[in-house]
Amino acid sequence: MENNQTGASAQPTSGMANLRFGVYNQPTNIAGKSVQQARDQFSKIWGIPTDSVAYKGKDKLDENYVIQPGDNVEFHRRAGEKG
Amino acid sequence: MSTKRFIVIGAGGVGTWLIAGLVRLLEWKFPGSGLIIVDGDNYEEKNKERQEFTKIGNKAIIKAHELTSHFPNTTIIPVPKWVVSENFAGITAQEDAPKIKASDLIKENDVVFAVVDNFAARKIIFDTAAMLDNIDVFTGGNDDALFGSIYHYQKRNGIATTEHPVSFHPEYENPPDKNPGELSCQERAEIEGGTQLLATNMAVAALILGRVQKTIVQDQSPEETEIYFDLGLGKAEPYNRMISYILEESKL
Repeated sequence: MENNQTGASAQPTSGMANLRFGVYNQPTNIAGKSVQQARDQFSKIWGIPTDSVAYKGKDKLDENYVIQPGDNVEFHRRAGEKG
Repeated sequence: MSTKRFIVIGAGGVGTWLIAGLVRLLEWKFPGSGLIIVDGDNYEEKNKERQEFTKIGNKAIIKAHELTSHFPNTTIIPVPKWVVSENFAGITAQEDAPKIKASDLIKENDVVFAVVDNFAARKIIFDTAAMLDNIDVFTGGNDDALFGSIYHYQKRNGIATTEHPVSFHPEYENPPDKNPGELSCQERAEIEGGTQLLATNMAVAALILGRVQKTIVQDQSPEETEIYFDLGLGKAEPYNRMISYILEESKL
């Protein structure tokens, strides 16, 4: 879906948002930070790849999108392939 | 109770264990149903570590023969062919590697299990299902360790209940691999099977069976559309990919 959210008009704020990546799911005080900053913070702990797209619902998020309180931000985790 | 037509595409590391559960479910919950097992590949000794077969030979044929005498209330049909796309330009009747177009296999109201070992074949199956009005497709896979995931795509009366997996998985839109059914025998032989683990294969099968129990047997909504798991961490995480839920999520 090309309905990217850039967050250009979003005002920096603070508060809780939910971050998800594969089996990881963590409410955290991350609102007001950009997707890029959230990725940097969690990439080492969770192993989020640098090219992993962030989604809110079905919308792809720009790296500069400012996370809002209550957002549910998901970093793409590649599905299991082998069977 | 109504009868069902279950189609399992891929009788390998996941399919072996999934079929064992599905045939029991059909036999006792939906007697008189059909179970179609599709696989163009052969069972070999090297598969023994993770797969359950009594003989060497085509996986679909052997598995159907094994089950038929034990489950008289279920019609089990082997399709010893590779599934290919509508656009496949080769010869489908090729003797050493017969193929079947997905659209000739998957029909309205089927419950399909895409437990192959590559994204390209899964995409063909999902895209074919998306053309139908009433369909359920379950897929699942794992990596070479203890991680895996499953996904449930569903349509009712022409409307998708859950998102097509391509919405959340670029690997389906542009598969990094190739459909073995569309490769030559030589190319297929060169594909590395990896070093998968039995526990992970069985976990994928068990999770799919759990979703079938809830959404097909009990006819409940497919809220836990996608489930990621990691046996090493002892974690499993469900994701709601229902269309109605995703629309609300995007608005927040």
